Amino acid sequence: MNKKNLFTLLTLLVIASMALAACGGGGSAATTESEADGPKVTSTGFACPAAEFPMEVTSTEVNIFVWTEYIPVEMLECFELVYGVKVNRDEYSSNEEMYAKVSAGGSNYDLVQPTDYIIALMARQELLQELDHAKLPVLKNFDANYLDFEFDPGNKYTIPYQAGTDAIVVNTDAVENAPASWEDLWKPEYAGNMVFLDDSRATIGLTLLTLGYDVNTTDPAQLDEAKTKLAQLVPGIKLFDSDSPKTALIAGDVDLGMTWTAEALLAQQENPAIQYVYPTEGAILWQDNWAMLKDAPHADAAYALLNYTMQGDVFWLMLRDFPYTNPNQAALDYAKTNQTELYDAYMASPITNVPADAIKNGHRIADVGEATPLYDDIWVEVKGQ
Amino acid sequence: MLQRLRENKSAQGTLLALPTTVWLFVLLIIPLILTLVVSFGKRSPDGNVIYSFTLDNYVRLFGYSTDCPEGQASCFDPLYVNILGRSLSLAFNTTFFVISLAYPLAYFIARAHPKQRNMYLFMVLIPLWTNFVIRVYAWMMLLRKEGAINIILGWIMNALNIPFTPLEMLYTPGAVLVGMIYEFLPFMILPIYTSLEKIDTSLYEAAADLGANSIKTFLRVTLPLSMPGVVAGTILVFIPVMGTFIVSDILGGRQVILVGNLIQRQFLDARDPTFGSAASLILMVLTLIVTYFYTRKFGFGEEIVVA
Repeated sequence: MNKKNLFTLLTLLVIASMALAACGGGGSAATTESEADGPKVTSTGFACPAAEFPMEVTSTEVNIFVWTEYIPVEMLECFELVYGVKVNRDEYSSNEEMYAKVSAGGSNYDLVQPTDYIIALMARQELLQELDHAKLPVLKNFDANYLDFEFDPGNKYTIPYQAGTDAIVVNTDAVENAPASWEDLWKPEYAGNMVFLDDSRATIGLTLLTLGYDVNTTDPAQLDEAKTKLAQLVPGIKLFDSDSPKTALIAGDVDLGMTWTAEALLAQQENPAIQYVYPTEGAILWQDNWAMLKDAPHADAAYALLNYTMQGDVFWLMLRDFPYTNPNQAALDYAKTNQTELYDAYMASPITNVPADAIKNGHRIADVGEATPLYDDIWVEVKGQ
Repeated sequence: MLQRLRENKSAQGTLLALPTTVWLFVLLIIPLILTLVVSFGKRSPDGNVIYSFTLDNYVRLFGYSTDCPEGQASCFDPLYVNILGRSLSLAFNTTFFVISLAYPLAYFIARAHPKQRNMYLFMVLIPLWTNFVIRVYAWMMLLRKEGAINIILGWIMNALNIPFTPLEMLYTPGAVLVGMIYEFLPFMILPIYTSLEKIDTSLYEAAADLGANSIKTFLRVTLPLSMPGVVAGTILVFIPVMGTFIVSDILGGRQVILVGNLIQRQFLDARDPTFGSAASLILMVLTLIVTYFYTRKFGFGEEIVVA
């Protein structure tokens, strides 16, 4: 290429990239204007409620590390508008990923959203700081059934966010005989047609259940048996996806599998033929929680964020966007009077309002301590085969 | 002082190279040494590194397992060797298809009217303005069971009255190959184009004068003279394909495990940075070996500088 041609090409590139940059600049200028005006309305037109538990905040930002697709846009935008604190959000799609990044150090995050079993591990590694309940008046919003679990007695390190189950999801239009148990998923007729969460403990756990073992076994022989059995299932799993397994279900790429509460409900809203089945061996029960990291640089803003986003007139947004089982009684009460349609749908669906026998029959994943490497190795080996 | 620097050419050179040297030292050499040290360590149950000197991670990688059927002290488990082999074969296949697609296109662009040439090159570059990951996601839309390709095929088959069941394309090794070819195509087109464009047209005239037909001219003149571009492109394609994990994660449905996925998982899912480090180093060594033999045969491809 001669010099002149090269120059023309470069000029074109520069002009085009400047044009693109200009577009970006315009957008951000608009937000600053609306901020100065006063009325606290999000870009989506949602009027932000005032803080129910106002906090003193000196930090200007807060760093959160959260599950993908798990926080309604308005929730964080309102917090930013009300407190003038910028929220920096990073996302993860497995507890293991979150743990690996946080334990590597220097992450600078204030808040994370660990699921039950990883909390004991994080506490043992001294990654979490004890919560000051005096700074969390929002705690009174929670249903006592979701507090004081074995994974964190007395809620020393965590407060609840959302709860749910891992169970079977099936498109009854496309699958003639819907599975009723985890064991059924091994049937050859389903092979190549399944989506699973990319979740090692849940997948190994349900395999252990089909063998009649405990989901938290530390017995190497039982785990070895589970590995052999899981190795037969994995080739029939078309897709592992923890970010948005509903997409493949709705698009018809797969017709059944294992997923968690809201993904099944959202898929069902798109296609009523999609059903959620609590397997006979028992579903996996879990709860996601908020926890603060030991070296959180903006603890004041983090407390404010927890108190604001979990107040009833804000947290009801979860029912609309991420309909998991909601431990927040104030949010449910708010929805009951102000968002009747959402509330009724929530209460009527066995997916979100989990039947009592499904809870009784369910299993909770717990930290397995020294046996953790056994689980980790099974996962790598069955998936790599 | 300044006066002396102005006169001393070698001091000038050192000074100019200093920023890059520091950069490479901090961001390449130190991390590499850390990786090496960690790869000889052991993991704790919670996933921390226990510094020690053991070759366990390398032994495990090459398949010597102590977890064997009863009665055997050691046995061979080909799991990780298979993953390495799968990655190598994917990298070879990708490079082969990319060359087959890129060469004719580069040839066409190099032979086009100079005014149109920039336009064509521009079109080759445009996709690179979009984020790599987004372009991979776009392929999901095309390859789905109810995606664009199946819909169009359905129409055609319908019009021809041939029964049609949607093809299963997404989440297969084939989808990963297509994604890789697409992502790395521009990195082959540009260096091949550069070397084709540099060929003096009087050489073609000379070949014609000496009685060579167009096929012979291509084989004896064009192809040898454009080889540096092919070599440079191969290096630019082969090495990244060996290490990429995003394409196989997204288009393979996390089912197609390449060595890049294996490494990523060791750090994020399996909490075993020691094994992950060992796998990274083996990947580097493997890539270096392949590149070494390749460049010894074909030269280093000066076009890499131009590209």
